[in-house]
Amino acid sequence: MKKEIIYNFDEREPRRPFTVPEGYFENLTQNIMDALPQQESIYSTTITVTPWMRIRPYLYAAAAFVGIFFCIKAAVGISTRNNASEMAQTEETTIYSDEYIDSFLETAMMNDYTLYYTLVEPGN
Amino acid sequence: MAMMAYDERRILEMLHEDDISRRRAFESIVNNFSEQLYWQIRHMVLSHDDANDILQNTFIKAWTNLDSFMGYSRISTWLYRIAINETLTFLNRQKATIPIETDEEGELSIADRLESDPYFDGDLTERQLQEAIATLPDKQRMVFNMKYFNEMKYEEISEALGTSIGALKASYHIAVKKIEEYFNNID
Repeated sequence: MKKEIIYNFDEREPRRPFTVPEGYFENLTQNIMDALPQQESIYSTTITVTPWMRIRPYLYAAAAFVGIFFCIKAAVGISTRNNASEMAQTEETTIYSDEYIDSFLETAMMNDYTLYYTLVEPGN
Repeated sequence: MAMMAYDERRILEMLHEDDISRRRAFESIVNNFSEQLYWQIRHMVLSHDDANDILQNTFIKAWTNLDSFMGYSRISTWLYRIAINETLTFLNRQKATIPIETDEEGELSIADRLESDPYFDGDLTERQLQEAIATLPDKQRMVFNMKYFNEMKYEEISEALGTSIGALKASYHIAVKKIEEYFNNID
């Protein structure tokens, strides 16, 4: 009795012991296609281009230029202010008292012309 | 509309075109692969209803993930992988929900199921063979079914499972030995 259920792979042809309901494979493709959800293709999605979408890149570019202009202007302004303040520091003069000046003039042997010349001539 | 002939190159092009072309291309894929995928799944889960559900899910997954398929592998390989994942997920879920039984009770339950299944027309030996196959680990069972019942070449199985041909041959021969041993041990 045991011999009856020995499975000999060399002698036995593979046979599929399963069946399917009648007409199953004939309708299978249609049934599967009907069960598929609707799908929007990323390749075929139609985008409606509005006027705003059309001018948007130009506006962004203009805004970028304005931004750059103000950045440059601000940078130049800061630099000018820095120079001005440096100049202000260097041009700061010592304030002498009137007495000092009077004594200086008395001892300097200068007339008005010589004094003017001393003050305005470059290099003094 | 008549079904277009299966031309993988043209189908890959159509999958990147408008919605109508895309659907037509997918319909051609379904028509070409649904039957062989069905049998692959059916041999694993045994029940027609379960196999049909898993097959539907396989194609729904493929359809909804079409954009991630870039054509690096063959369409058949891609579909087999989805089907295998869906089948193994189903079997794991089934194992988790069905109460743990002893081996003998498990074997009897498979025999009972097949005997009362209107879509099983095998004799006693074929029922015993299904019981023997059911004792194999999932992947070994899959390799055995692909080779023995679906008569796939080792190259095709290798592409579908991502396993080397050498490993597949070894796996198949081990499965055959285990099945023969199973029959030898039947009282």
